[in-house]
Amino acid sequence: MAGILGHLAGIDDPGVVVFGITGKQGQSTTRVMTGYGTRVLAGVTPGKGGQEVDGIPVFDSCADAVSAVPGLNSAVFFVPAGAVLQATREASAAGIRFMVHTADGVASHDAALMREMSVEGGFRIVGPNTVGMLDTSGCLFGLIGGGASWARKNYLSGCVGIISRSGGLSQLLGAFHCRPHLPGPLPGGGYGELWGDTGPGVSAVICVGGDPVPGTTLLEAALAFEADPRTKVIAGYGETGTSQENELAEAVAGGRITKPVVLFLGGRFTEAGVSQSHAGAMIRCEAETWAAKHEALVAAGVTVVDRPDAVFGSVAGVLGLV
Amino acid sequence: MPALPEYLTRALLESEGVPVVPGVMLTSAPATVAGFPVFLKAQIPGATSRKSAGLVRRIDSPAELGAVLPDLLSRDRCEGVLAAEALDIELELYAGVVFDAGSSSALPGGRLLFSLAGGSGIEARAGSLTEIRFPLSSPPSPGTLAASLPDAPWRASAADLLAGMARTFCRYRLLVLEANPLAVLRGDGRVLVVDCRAEFEDRAVRNGEEALFGTASARAGDSTRLERMVDAFNRSDPAGTAFFRQNRGAPAPGAVRVATNLCGGGGKMLWEMAVGGRDDIFALNESDTSGGLSAFKSYRFLRAVLAQEDADLLLFTGSGMAFQSQLNIAAAIWKALRESPCVVPVMVRFGGTDEDKARAMFERLSGSLRAPVRTYPSEVFPNAMVDSIRGFLEDAGAASPVPPSCPPGGTPAFEVAVPPGRFHVDGARCAECRERPCLGACPTHFLAWAEGCGPAKAEGQRCTGCLMCEAACLLDGSAGLFIELEMPEVE
Repeated sequence: MAGILGHLAGIDDPGVVVFGITGKQGQSTTRVMTGYGTRVLAGVTPGKGGQEVDGIPVFDSCADAVSAVPGLNSAVFFVPAGAVLQATREASAAGIRFMVHTADGVASHDAALMREMSVEGGFRIVGPNTVGMLDTSGCLFGLIGGGASWARKNYLSGCVGIISRSGGLSQLLGAFHCRPHLPGPLPGGGYGELWGDTGPGVSAVICVGGDPVPGTTLLEAALAFEADPRTKVIAGYGETGTSQENELAEAVAGGRITKPVVLFLGGRFTEAGVSQSHAGAMIRCEAETWAAKHEALVAAGVTVVDRPDAVFGSVAGVLGLV
Repeated sequence: MPALPEYLTRALLESEGVPVVPGVMLTSAPATVAGFPVFLKAQIPGATSRKSAGLVRRIDSPAELGAVLPDLLSRDRCEGVLAAEALDIELELYAGVVFDAGSSSALPGGRLLFSLAGGSGIEARAGSLTEIRFPLSSPPSPGTLAASLPDAPWRASAADLLAGMARTFCRYRLLVLEANPLAVLRGDGRVLVVDCRAEFEDRAVRNGEEALFGTASARAGDSTRLERMVDAFNRSDPAGTAFFRQNRGAPAPGAVRVATNLCGGGGKMLWEMAVGGRDDIFALNESDTSGGLSAFKSYRFLRAVLAQEDADLLLFTGSGMAFQSQLNIAAAIWKALRESPCVVPVMVRFGGTDEDKARAMFERLSGSLRAPVRTYPSEVFPNAMVDSIRGFLEDAGAASPVPPSCPPGGTPAFEVAVPPGRFHVDGARCAECRERPCLGACPTHFLAWAEGCGPAKAEGQRCTGCLMCEAACLLDGSAGLFIELEMPEVE
């Protein structure tokens, strides 16, 4: 499967090991992932090596798993925030090249160390604090969709690439591009049906997470879609805090991103210096404000909308559907 | 971000061998010190400009100490007074270490800042800062730092100190560590930290190190009682995070005061953009949940939201589409509304897995609620919901009193520890139940049937706290099952 992961991490045939597979969330989400088509080949839970979860062998360590199971190159982690850094080290040492960290509450220092490791070690991290990544060619890493049948029904192959700092909006922006007869604001004004029985669909959904130090930035996710031949439009959600939207604007202005970008930008009324539910959304300097980002994005040619349902009409306009 | 007062920051620095001005912490009056002069410095978390606020005082005699100390100790949120030796200082320097989140093209790490212009006056210092970036995996050594410092007699001492600051910053995962001034002592050229402060993330405080970062109440700063309550159950039930912040502002006259719940991180932004800049709607709080919250925890969160005074309306919406089962969330909302003393009209939108089933189930359950309820499909976004608030309130009928089906009390039939909950079973009602819908609703087969008694705890199975059993019992059973979910007590 040559999907978005090929462009993100150079992996065309993901074989997944799940850290924390014997826990409540690890078990249930592994079922979602396998049900969607993801090849989960092994699990890791210290002290539970030798067990199985739905027929998937469990190992005490990632090194054991990699030794015993050929083809492991990716990992999804359901481990507590305090254990994420060590788990990343373990996976990296075992040769894992793509990692999805779902944990919320990872210390920024730990996330920074993970980013440092991944850049210097040549592997890719998505998260922490992400619902993960879904590719409609049949691969799901993490929590998107909530259920396999739900995910299959709601995420259909198409040409929109989704990037987002919010889990809920990642899922919504992905699914609604696949809903038949979706109503919404029309690009020329008014409100009406944006497409007929078939929506534009999505190539993949990448939630980069809401933390201050993402393993993969909005720009890096957008660059993967830029290289993905299925993707004609990049749509997503950005917000205050961090420099991610500013970088995206620079890349669009500088021609590194040539595909149309439509972004719902949140945080217009966010006060500087106030903690936000997304730790990464806190404004620490002028460049991280909604106004500064909005100005940069618009100047670069990004279509910025101020309500989420306006994303779909804008995408439909770009694609000539309305 | 939580801020550490000077005395706690000193303790962190000292643990890494960073020299600080000798001093003693005084927590009550009267008190004595070894000698004079000393500087008395009130230790108040987050306090800035202490000198101009009269929180730092030079003391030259026991009589002066006796007069000033009680005054400083009585200041709001004062945790004590540091009596620090007055030194013969030749030169004042500045040093800081700050966290840099990095970018797509620059690695995150630490930035060590140094200036020859220490003491007050940040503006004057801004142009004279030397900046040294370093990866968190390898804080700079004294030798590396010395190469960036002026050729002065105190260079080696300062380099040692700066390296110690960088180690402290990394060891305790701080966001900011500032020493201002650093004192170069006249005579021997030693460099010491005279004053210092730090900022940190709560999430970075390791188990067992909490005491180093002060008391929970001090960390809470200006948190409200309900915010502390949410914090308390986040700590006791860490699966998934609930974010809750009450609005410190005041509503405009005639504004509809809206309590909100479970908006999601992006939903928080979405909600803000729906109500921001308008004065006819006043959001009482911001909220977010992320991660795999149980319905038990969602219920507790909603109870805190509903405990806000003077709410005119509860508006619930996910940020878009959630990965959590919307059926579980529907049960949590229903239960919280049913058991909260606050009865206000409710607007609910579900989005995500089983959203249509959740909406249908909630509408069935809402018949047992006192409050008027309106539900919305996921295609209706918060901005549209906000636009319909006035109309809904005009149309909403009066609340009707409905007694709870099975009030809590007595000894629970059984309990679960994680997530915490107590199961009460009305044996008489359950004995008449033929359908036993609670069993079928449980996704983990945690419930078994005890003949003549009702649902019981099955051996070897675990409860995920989804609340589907209680909802099913009310809808299709005998209403004999009640799960008591205790709310934490806070000061």
